[in-house]
Amino acid sequence: MERAELAEVVRSRIAQVVGVPVDEIGEGTDLRDEYEMDSLELMEIGTRLENTLGTRISADDLLEMRNVGHCIDLLHRRVQERV
Amino acid sequence: MNAGAGVNRRVRVAVTGLGVKTPAGTHVKQFADTLAEGRSTAATVAEFVDLGLPVTFACRVPEFDPTDYVSLRELRQLDRAAFLAVAAAADAVTDARLERPAVPERVGVTVGIGAGGLTPAELLVQEYGDRPATVPAYTVPRIMANAAAARISLRIGARGSALSYVMACASGATAIGEAMLKIRSGELDVVVAGGTEACVSPVAVSSFARMGAMSRRNDDPAAACRPFDTGRDGFVMGEGAAFLVLERWEHAEARGARVIAELRGYGSNSDAHHIVAPRSDGAVAAACMRLALADAELAPAEIGHVNAHGTGTLYNDLAEARAIVACFGADGPPVTAPKGVLGHSLGAAGAVEAVATLLSAVSGTVPPVANFTTGDGDTALIDVVAGRARQVAPQPALTNSFGFGGHNVSLVFAPC
Repeated sequence: MERAELAEVVRSRIAQVVGVPVDEIGEGTDLRDEYEMDSLELMEIGTRLENTLGTRISADDLLEMRNVGHCIDLLHRRVQERV
Repeated sequence: MNAGAGVNRRVRVAVTGLGVKTPAGTHVKQFADTLAEGRSTAATVAEFVDLGLPVTFACRVPEFDPTDYVSLRELRQLDRAAFLAVAAAADAVTDARLERPAVPERVGVTVGIGAGGLTPAELLVQEYGDRPATVPAYTVPRIMANAAAARISLRIGARGSALSYVMACASGATAIGEAMLKIRSGELDVVVAGGTEACVSPVAVSSFARMGAMSRRNDDPAAACRPFDTGRDGFVMGEGAAFLVLERWEHAEARGARVIAELRGYGSNSDAHHIVAPRSDGAVAAACMRLALADAELAPAEIGHVNAHGTGTLYNDLAEARAIVACFGADGPPVTAPKGVLGHSLGAAGAVEAVATLLSAVSGTVPPVANFTTGDGDTALIDVVAGRARQVAPQPALTNSFGFGGHNVSLVFAPC
């Protein structure tokens, strides 16, 4: 999966959980700072991405990410590793 | 025993706020007006027709904008029963002007819920039954039966105890009665008390239909729920939530709150007879009404009207009519039964009808029973309000809630 395609998937799943239009979620969006996201919501984003991408996402990966762009980079690496 | 025995009887409990999300309306005035018209809110549910269910209609809460109450983000974490509860409780708290309680430790929450997580569980199994490992991370907080109580406590910042009562169709009334005891005992100054349920779902409706408890009048839903009428053939599924702000009288006075009515009496007992059928002579239900009257320090003749549980099932209505005659005598007060309009919202019903009862106690307007024309046997022995609302003097009123399992609860409200 190309990074651009993956970015769309990630942004849309985050937007679903946060309950905002996908346009509001940019690569620079910091979910903890801007949306006060808690760990349960983070896990929910992880669950949705796992179901869509068919790949395991570890809790550590989720807790590590700083912003949305960082999350996309990380998942892109994981998806490539799998290939 | 008398539910209020042994505690300080000088403590009076004021109702200072109301909130409703029901098939008859999503705010209090609309709710009272629809009840006074006595027209059923039941309608066909397309999904039930498509699935070929034995019962294809229900009473549902009209749509309203959820973002008036919660963000879309929070809405995704809420099952429907919890959402309706949060909305109705928020309305009640706003009505009471208690959005920011001064001493949150003295504010509690009590919630009656019957089926609890049944409907979210149904949806969950439908979607993830064949791949359980992929369930949403929100599954537990959505499905837990105490979600409504917890969400309300979070929403209003109540730090007193937040309790959930599971008493089938007597749950909502129990939550209100138990809240009163907590105020009388001195534990709490304010309790946001009520009930919620959202069981208009294929499995829930089919489960009750299997028992033979539901009306099969699929070709005429609006005529289906007919409490105490000779043509009744079962209850109609409803849904909704209602909450009352209950307050220690002096606490309400001290902050200059408007007191809508007084909660005066609570009776609670058990048939110990059958897991779902009521005792046909209504003797224990009659004893429950007497407990509530004794707790309210009122004689039967001082009650202006009775809000019956009146589900529209053959056996409930027979047993309840006998119980009302046993408690109030042959010349008892007028009897109304709002399930003809609202359907049966199970664990919420006792709270929804507590609101109906206290509004009628205050206004003296007793709504007619939808679809009632003629009684039969024992149901003809009670004075069912038929056709149009009846005007009586504002005076205390008693409401009954009876649950599967033999749970009986009666509450008494009085104008002030």
